[in-house]
Amino acid sequence: MWLAYALLLPSLIFLAAFTYWPILRSIWFSLHDVLLGDPDIYWLGAENYLRLLEDRLFWKVLGNTAFYTMITIPLSIVVALLLAVALDSKLRGMAIYRSAFFYPVMIPSVAAGMVWVFLYAPGYGPINEALTAVGLPRLDWLYDSTWALPAIMIMAVWKYSGYFMLILLAALKLVPSDLYEAARLDGVSGWQRLLHITIPLVSPTLYFVIIIGTLHSYQIFDYVYVMTQGGPADSTNVLTFYIYQNGFQYQDIGYASALANVLLVFVLGLIGLVAMTLGRKVHYLGER
Amino acid sequence: MSDATHPAPVPAVSRPAPRPRWRKLARQNALHLLMAPLALLWLSPLIWILVTSLKTNTEVFDQAAGFLPASPKFSNYPSTLSVAPFGTYLINSVIVTATILACQLVTITLAAYAFARLTFPGKGLLFTLFLLQVMFPIYAIFLTNFVTLREMGLVNTIPAMIVPFVASGYGTFMLRQSFRQVPSELSDAARLDGCGHMAILWHVYLPLVKPTLIAFGIISVVTHWNDYMWPLLVTNSEGIRTLPIGLGLLAKADSGADWPRLMAGTTIVVSPLLILFVIFQRRFIDSFMHTGVK
Repeated sequence: MWLAYALLLPSLIFLAAFTYWPILRSIWFSLHDVLLGDPDIYWLGAENYLRLLEDRLFWKVLGNTAFYTMITIPLSIVVALLLAVALDSKLRGMAIYRSAFFYPVMIPSVAAGMVWVFLYAPGYGPINEALTAVGLPRLDWLYDSTWALPAIMIMAVWKYSGYFMLILLAALKLVPSDLYEAARLDGVSGWQRLLHITIPLVSPTLYFVIIIGTLHSYQIFDYVYVMTQGGPADSTNVLTFYIYQNGFQYQDIGYASALANVLLVFVLGLIGLVAMTLGRKVHYLGER
Repeated sequence: MSDATHPAPVPAVSRPAPRPRWRKLARQNALHLLMAPLALLWLSPLIWILVTSLKTNTEVFDQAAGFLPASPKFSNYPSTLSVAPFGTYLINSVIVTATILACQLVTITLAAYAFARLTFPGKGLLFTLFLLQVMFPIYAIFLTNFVTLREMGLVNTIPAMIVPFVASGYGTFMLRQSFRQVPSELSDAARLDGCGHMAILWHVYLPLVKPTLIAFGIISVVTHWNDYMWPLLVTNSEGIRTLPIGLGLLAKADSGADWPRLMAGTTIVVSPLLILFVIFQRRFIDSFMHTGVK
């Protein structure tokens, strides 16, 4: 028995110090007036949270975060599923396609962000050139408060769909092919096969992809930092970036901690939701 | 995969005629017609990085200049290397990524063995704590971690970039699943031969789960090699920065004025992993592919 604890000890020390202690500590900080690098802290009670309720920028940031998450994750998963189904049909050159869609995962977020700043450049960027070529109006993309966040979302779909596609492809491989054959012989159309056979059978994996997608959605910090710094007019400011602004630029650790706790509540809500909806239902197809 | 377990299909009486070959071919071609442009679209950012890195600055801003540079300007690369110490960044990236992986392999192996093969009070609760860590990546808790490291005097040191990632709930989970698939007869036999837990772990378990260790290793390396936010927050001197941070600084210094040089820098930063990916494509694909079903 002591052996087990000894084996867990190295992990537990680091888990405690860098995952669970910070969470407890940020609750403590959020109830105080704490400035970065200042040893004096003052009890504030719920004041940081009351301030949060009245902070209009906070609500905007929360809205941006929700908008980004609610659109980007489902959209990338739909794209990923369609790609996976197309590649699952024993297409020749499949390995090449697979790599072509997957490689963005290998690219550092800074590098990706930078190239897309170039691609979106209003004056000389290839995307606007392409829009002009097909007769569509040019856009200011990252400089336009309407289009800046959608521009980052398009990039995120490019960056992560390939990863989700790969995971779904593994799940599709486990669907017995005679099932499709039988459905095809019964005259079931391709679209209905997707809806009634493929999606239900890979649904545990779809849930899993949703979780992975949520975890990756935090990474929007990198893109916002590199591409827009939250602008124009805070149209791309999201929760992780707003925490950074308050904590590091304004040095207001207390208020930033309150914001961080909002993010944690978000995450916990998600865990609860996932546990409730699929906790019992999930059985991994691959497990024997 | 399930061929062996299913009986051979019995020909149905009123089975429709099999599809003619040409229809199958036509279907394939239609799919290629759809997928090839899509794949090209996905590849285009990479193509733009490479092409732009060989242009002159005027060619980038001149809309009449065409897609390819008049003559490839390879000197953009040496000039990028002369403005930023990419060599130092590269060494730092290697040190940070390798140390994280080495530490993780030790911690997850020990913990996964405990969770897979030993019984002890509090096992369920502790396992939950490990799993929940997956939901709290550094992006969600960076603020207090920064304060903690500051108090420890570790800010702007190499260890600061490493310590938050030493324990991995995800890796522990992955490895536990693999350990559980090792037949217990094997370890029982080793036990009878007088082997202790550590010897069994080393000689029986680890060799059998090599594919899982490799898969985890690849995912960990890709994640931490590309990491941006955390190294950005905890470093502020040239000597310890990693490649992505160096690239970010170059971009800031240029602020869009010198795209060829910046894209040359981007090429330098993205190529190590992309080259490895091209060489070990199967391994990379398999590793990421099976993160979902295992």
